[in-house]
Amino acid sequence: MQERPRLINLENISKDYGGVTVLSDINLYIRKNEFVTLLGPSGCGKTTTLRIIGGFESPSSGRVMFDGEDITQLPPYKRKVNTVFQKYALFPHLNVAENIAFGLKVAKRPKEEIRAKVEKMLALVNLRGYEKRSVDSLSGGQQQRIAIARALVNEPEVLLLDEPLGALDLKLRQEMQLELKRMQQMLGITFIFVTHDQEEALTMSDIIVVMKDGFIQQIGTPKDVYDEPKSAFVANFIGQSNIIRGVMVHDELVHFCGADFPCVDKGFGSDAPVDVLIRPEDLLIVGENEGRLNGLVRSVLFKGVHYEMIIDAGEMRFKVHSTVMQPEGSIVGLDVIPFNIHIMNPMPPQEIESLEEEPA
Amino acid sequence: MNNMALPPWATWVMLLGFLGFIGMIALSIRRNRGVKRSLFAFPYGLWIVLFTLIPLLLIAYYAFTNKAGGLTLDNFKTFWDSNYEMRKQMLDLGVNPADLGIARGNVNVDTLVYSLWMAFMCTVICLVMGYPAALFMADRSFKLGATLVILFIIPMWMNFLLRTIAWMSLLEDNGLINTLLAAMGLPKMRLMYNSQAVLLGMVYNYLPFMVFPIYNSLSKQDRRLSEAAMDLGANAALTFLRVTLPLSLPGVVSGITMVFMPSVTTFFIPRVLGGGNTEMFGDLIERTFLSADNWNVGSALSLIMMILILISLTLLRKADPEGEGSGTL
Repeated sequence: MQERPRLINLENISKDYGGVTVLSDINLYIRKNEFVTLLGPSGCGKTTTLRIIGGFESPSSGRVMFDGEDITQLPPYKRKVNTVFQKYALFPHLNVAENIAFGLKVAKRPKEEIRAKVEKMLALVNLRGYEKRSVDSLSGGQQQRIAIARALVNEPEVLLLDEPLGALDLKLRQEMQLELKRMQQMLGITFIFVTHDQEEALTMSDIIVVMKDGFIQQIGTPKDVYDEPKSAFVANFIGQSNIIRGVMVHDELVHFCGADFPCVDKGFGSDAPVDVLIRPEDLLIVGENEGRLNGLVRSVLFKGVHYEMIIDAGEMRFKVHSTVMQPEGSIVGLDVIPFNIHIMNPMPPQEIESLEEEPA
Repeated sequence: MNNMALPPWATWVMLLGFLGFIGMIALSIRRNRGVKRSLFAFPYGLWIVLFTLIPLLLIAYYAFTNKAGGLTLDNFKTFWDSNYEMRKQMLDLGVNPADLGIARGNVNVDTLVYSLWMAFMCTVICLVMGYPAALFMADRSFKLGATLVILFIIPMWMNFLLRTIAWMSLLEDNGLINTLLAAMGLPKMRLMYNSQAVLLGMVYNYLPFMVFPIYNSLSKQDRRLSEAAMDLGANAALTFLRVTLPLSLPGVVSGITMVFMPSVTTFFIPRVLGGGNTEMFGDLIERTFLSADNWNVGSALSLIMMILILISLTLLRKADPEGEGSGTL
């Protein structure tokens, strides 16, 4: 990917509400034409970050830079960003065309231009001929499109999207994901997208920013974040994972569940405690005594593309995905290739426990 | 004082009544197992029939009959011409009332027009004062909003007559304001016994009925809508004009109706603060019933008033079909 110029720069942004810290020292830059997703569980500060970029909240400390200019104190109506709000926030007293034209009317554009642009936008979001409809008569998906059209018609440099797909059903959501991606690529503008849905983030983003408790946990491409999570939290939040406490014997060799495993990670020192991440699809089921571990199949669930098996091995409970089903109660061997073992710095024990209780 | 001494069993009766009330609550909480729910509506139904429906029918009956009980439209003619009865009697006696200089009496119609004008002025002033107040109270960033709401409600706990009489002690020739003026060496002013004083009393009494419906519709408004407007380039003034104001119109309509209706029918305030110089339609009806002892004409006047109110209520329903802006107190 070629290096694009930085458009937005958040510098040491912190925010607290009456003593409660919502954001701690956020540093983040966003490049032109990038699709950036702020991903995290509710209360992680992703929406607050978005609102600070939009100008609806001002940070307690830190600066927001836009194209090299400090816009920290600039009110929303002077910023070159537009927002698609969580529940769309369409104006109920205006019809579809009037909603889309709102920004242009406020900017006092000529009538002909407004009409032409509204028409173009409605075509873009596949809602031609809906000009005179009242927004209440539209379905959730249609309202969603109008909200996007209303923001995009102003030709913003950055579009902020605050969980815009949250209220849609699965199929519609997947459709809209592709459509949003298509729009972003076609219009060549920056999208900053907030969601708690990891799958959504992986599908659409160029860059994912994983947040938790007001801190940025990791910034990276979807592949980076999935394959090389920096912490057990990221590993567990994005995709499913087995996280095992282990000991790094020396570079490229890790010990867990009573066996030594060769791996590709270096630089953790010798005999250092680490967290070992293995994705369920990376665990290989082999014949008994053919792998490094032997385990008992506790349960089997059919998940469509694959089976999800819970296998107890070496005092650990592993989640394994495989297209081949092993009967419940059978003993199988487990193994994993070095490349699929990922070593992370250890997390405090209470956090790992809380992760295990969360439903995947 | 002896009249006020309660009989010895009064306490027990009150206690019994209170226990009955508690029992009713308990029963209705238990989803009225064994007792039909409609049974509870019976006292209310009886009340409606006895004290609302029958009086309404009586008013209609009186309005369309004369003292002898015969069907007639004379009462409505009297509304148009307060000298109608007199002129009719003169004509019966073969005298032309015009010869004696007795023309159409326009007191009743003029009083109605004056009442409408006063109510209109009162509504306009309440709106101009009430909207900004409601806007202020509904502002989430203004922390004292809830306190202001309470401050608006508290005076309404006091009796309306008392509140009006309290104004007297302020506005009187020797009242608080004039005493202060005199103490400062300024000439005393005639503050009472004019339309302005009446208007003041009306605005004072009816202002909350304007503020609360507007406050209600404003505070129910989704904050994101004004954020969306700002996001789309509208500054604070444009956001208000294009989003906040149009969306609060149901509340405004509701407020206007809730102020205008009682304003038109205002009585007592003109008598206390206007000193009888400025009679309004409510006083006219009262005087016709009680002083003039003419129930038939009084009923006709009431009926005209009710039709006016019915029309404005219908208009309200049209403007605010879901009762969105209706004040809850």
